[in-house]
Amino acid sequence: MRVSLNLVKKYVDLPANLTSAQIAYDLTLRTVEVESVENTSEKYHDIVVGKILNVNKHPNADLLRICIVDIGEAKPVQIVCGGSNLYEEEYVVVSKPGAEVVWHGEGEPVKIKETKMRGESSYGMICGAEEVYLSKLFPPKDNHEIVDLKGIECIPGQNIAEVLCMDDTVLEIDNKSLTNRPDLWGHYGIARELSAIYDVPLKELPKHKIDFSLPEYNVEIMDPEKCQRYVAIEIDSVYEKASPMWMKALLVNCGLRPINAIVDITNYVMIAVGQPLHAFDRTHVDGEKIVVRNAKKGEQLLLLDNNTIDLTEDDLVISDEHNAMALAGIRGGMKDSILSDTTGIILEIANFTAQTIRKSGKRFDEKTDASIRYEKNIDTERVDQGIALSLELFKEFFPESNIVSFCDQYPKKTKRAEISISQEFLNIRLGKVLAKDIVERVLKALGYEVEFKDNVYHVIVPVWRSTGDVSIKDDVMGDIARLLSFDSFSAKPLTITFSHAVHQDSILLERRLREYLAYRCGFNEIFTYPWIDEKYIKAIKTDLSKSIKLATPPAPELSFLRSSLIPGMLEAISKNLRYYENFKMFEMAQIFEKGEYHESSLDETLPIHKKYLTGCIVGKNAKDIFYQLKGAIESMASFCHMKDLTFIREEKPSWADVNVYLNIMCDEKIIGSIGLLSFAVMSETKIKRTNVALFEINFGYLKPFDSRTNEFKHLPQFPLVEKDLSLLIDNDISWEVITETIKGKVKEIQFIEEYRGNQIPDGKKSVMLRIKIGNDNGTMTSEEITKEMEQIVKILYKKCGAELREE
Amino acid sequence: MKEKLEEISKQGLQKIDNIKSIEELQDLRKELMGKKSPLSEVLKTLGTLNPDMKKEVGMKATEIKNTFSLKLDEKEEELIAAKSVVDEPIDLTLPGIKPEEGVLHPITQMCYDLNDAFLSLGFEVYNEDDISSEKYAFDNLNFAPDHPARQSMDTFWIEGTEDKLGNERLCLRPHLTGGSVRYLLEHGAPARFVYPGRVYRNETTDARHERAFFQYEALIVDKDISFSSGVVMIQTIFEKVFGRKINVRMREGFFPFTEPGYEIDMECLVCTGKGCRVCNHNGWIEVMPGGVIHPNVLKSANLDPEVWTGFYINIGLDRLVMMRYGVDDVRLFHSADLRFLEQFK
Repeated sequence: MRVSLNLVKKYVDLPANLTSAQIAYDLTLRTVEVESVENTSEKYHDIVVGKILNVNKHPNADLLRICIVDIGEAKPVQIVCGGSNLYEEEYVVVSKPGAEVVWHGEGEPVKIKETKMRGESSYGMICGAEEVYLSKLFPPKDNHEIVDLKGIECIPGQNIAEVLCMDDTVLEIDNKSLTNRPDLWGHYGIARELSAIYDVPLKELPKHKIDFSLPEYNVEIMDPEKCQRYVAIEIDSVYEKASPMWMKALLVNCGLRPINAIVDITNYVMIAVGQPLHAFDRTHVDGEKIVVRNAKKGEQLLLLDNNTIDLTEDDLVISDEHNAMALAGIRGGMKDSILSDTTGIILEIANFTAQTIRKSGKRFDEKTDASIRYEKNIDTERVDQGIALSLELFKEFFPESNIVSFCDQYPKKTKRAEISISQEFLNIRLGKVLAKDIVERVLKALGYEVEFKDNVYHVIVPVWRSTGDVSIKDDVMGDIARLLSFDSFSAKPLTITFSHAVHQDSILLERRLREYLAYRCGFNEIFTYPWIDEKYIKAIKTDLSKSIKLATPPAPELSFLRSSLIPGMLEAISKNLRYYENFKMFEMAQIFEKGEYHESSLDETLPIHKKYLTGCIVGKNAKDIFYQLKGAIESMASFCHMKDLTFIREEKPSWADVNVYLNIMCDEKIIGSIGLLSFAVMSETKIKRTNVALFEINFGYLKPFDSRTNEFKHLPQFPLVEKDLSLLIDNDISWEVITETIKGKVKEIQFIEEYRGNQIPDGKKSVMLRIKIGNDNGTMTSEEITKEMEQIVKILYKKCGAELREE
Repeated sequence: MKEKLEEISKQGLQKIDNIKSIEELQDLRKELMGKKSPLSEVLKTLGTLNPDMKKEVGMKATEIKNTFSLKLDEKEEELIAAKSVVDEPIDLTLPGIKPEEGVLHPITQMCYDLNDAFLSLGFEVYNEDDISSEKYAFDNLNFAPDHPARQSMDTFWIEGTEDKLGNERLCLRPHLTGGSVRYLLEHGAPARFVYPGRVYRNETTDARHERAFFQYEALIVDKDISFSSGVVMIQTIFEKVFGRKINVRMREGFFPFTEPGYEIDMECLVCTGKGCRVCNHNGWIEVMPGGVIHPNVLKSANLDPEVWTGFYINIGLDRLVMMRYGVDDVRLFHSADLRFLEQFK
């Protein structure tokens, strides 16, 4: 919302020497967020009134004219201009050298210089409306029209901002910071806040003196829940004419477009006190009767542009005897327009409830200056301010006008809230003891009525805050705190009570896992969106019947929420393959599937959530990356202090290679898988010329330890003997079988390498391992060593068919 | 004989001088002082000389031997001092071998920094699930029934529930605050806890707006505490995270779940509060909303607002991380682009 300080100052005398920056700062801290402060006259420096004395043809250009212009300087100046409406004696807008204008209304402002145009010198330029930010005041009829100041009192050389009443300061307020404050959607409300902040008096608004003996205009409210008050005033001898310049300028500065004096008055009153008004041409109201009713089934509203909108039975309309004329509180229709033949109006000053306006506004996707105000819930007494201010202006702009008839239907009055707050409550919650007169001053300045009895403040909330904004004592406390400024309450130290140790095993495990994967294993952590491109979901043959979908997804192909982290990982892999050949990534996040789960209470049923951890290694050598990944999983438990993970080969994950996969087990339960990405998935997802090793683990099944659980082992008292064995062995004898065979005979076994190749017969492989043997009772003698080794070789031959390879 | 000795000495010293390696030196030591060395040969003939000569030549030969020994030792020391463990040319300007290390997402890093700070103040960490119901996401938090945030243009509703109400209407949580009631229902009061997480809004994205982003919320519930204690907490946290005291200010702000509510601004770190483009020339950056927990929210958590009070702060993690590193596009956080993520090692 744009707030004009000129208009604010009509209602409050601000302290002298107060800068607009200070006002913006104080408002921001205490009331609403001021986003920027604009001096509206600044952009008009060196832009002045010029009077054209002579218009001559340009010798070298058909479309250009050479004008001799009086710009209030010692001598008239020559300006070359291509305007389509130049004539002698015309008063125009001249940008002198040094002025800044927006060329053809587009782009950044450009500084004007004295120049030559087609050989003729030009001292500045005669401007069109768009070039000097005046298109709202002087809507141009064509591209070449320049601003004609006809009818406006001015003298050559006078600054244009002064002539056009543009000397103002405008505060741009963030609308989001105003959503809870219906009282601040008019300048009077802002003035009230400033009067409270600076402790200066707020001027009273005019009171209306309607003659109640006037004939009554016929108004009927069919749904008093939606329309709590409707005032109709019939005024004659008003017609379409321009408003005075000050009014136009004010509307422009507040972001509105001047239309004609009648419409401008309604808009002015709205920005002044926040009460929307509407004017109907009285001859358009059939049957001289206004009915506020819900639309009929199938009813349409004819708009000014001849389009129609289809109304529903929930939409409140303003109707005459027959037809809807306007969508209540939101927009008018064709029938309500003020036209050149208008001679009298019905002025509507009404109260519509917020919910009604919000619903209809949403249905028609329509937000207007009126509807955004009604949506905030305006009190019914605001109507009186609207009546008084508008009648005053009609009398001023149309002295010959008369009120012909009047009606005030007032089914429901806003009730002022009453609240009691103890002094003790305030002192504790504010953290500061406030004197009674400070509390009273602040509250009274904001319009509260305050009575202090037995250490309790009994307050009556002002009517403009009683539509929901202030309803409990905390709201009143908030008003006191903000008005005194939150910063004025010195920070109170917090005390900590130690009662017990905090155990958060699973939270800590999550962090250990992340840090293990990143810092020990070289994985980079990624985040992907929970909505996943269907392409990747389908690639791994997900069972979509269990998947959760979004009602309004970010894009049609992104409607499924993930039921696995793998598809998101695949997308991330394919993106990064553009820049990297070898990389490792992991992600930890929740996945979702249909089901029933109660997070907090039985009345709330949520789908199943599972936290998963997934990771990948991408590289050319499939075996290498698989074993690397397997190594990362094998060491995970000991580094992350959790129960051991083991492997089993039972169920192939849908994404995995036909051969290379294992299931990960913890506590006899399958909790995840590891494997290579299958050919099938790779070709579907266009992951080419590389290999991917993947794992996924259900985090919820991991078992963190309370603390570290490894136990110290004594160092061997006698030296161990290290021996390497190179075995020739059948292909199908696994490492596991070999280790099981000699486990009892040795202290340690270590895998060195596996080899198949030229020197190895078909069906066989060479396996090299390193073992350590030792004797607990003494250093082994060479005889003992030889004997022991012979036994080991023998048992390996017997159980595994292994022969020692000749080196 | 004397001439011969002179010759041996001269040649020997010259050879010592010319030695280039320790191996050569060891060979030379044998050659000059070994049993078959010329010097030994001379000494062997000593017996054939007359006593005078014997004495003179003997002394001379010993002297030469000592000199050889001394010079060889000196040379050896010299050679050892000059010897490099790398016996080939080495380019010291070549880049070193980088440790193969991955990195946590910058958001996670910031989150853990904050966790460390809050844990040191006795807070617990709580995680709410990503899908919530309208009851917990809005109703409990004092959002008006027709609050615009409930619309599908703001919140991601789950298909099939979008036309239902309350606990049957499900959504990807639009903020973390709903989790506060869940925690309080489970643990009661007093309580102090943080609950970081990802939240979702149905928005058009650009460099400053995302559909999925991270928040970090903290809540204290206790008896008789004042809202101004919140400032102490905020200052402490910032000091922990940024390593120095950061000025903050509180100003009026409105949120349905607080009363009073406030916006918390921190001094702009780019210009240290002097005013620059980043802070729109006013020296302050809006970082988080906060406020006193609304009585209606306490009631939702089965707590008596006459007894209990407390305050929230809600830190926009993305924004804080963007401040920390000067990141200018919020969408990078969900890009999974390693060229971006690897920079935070």
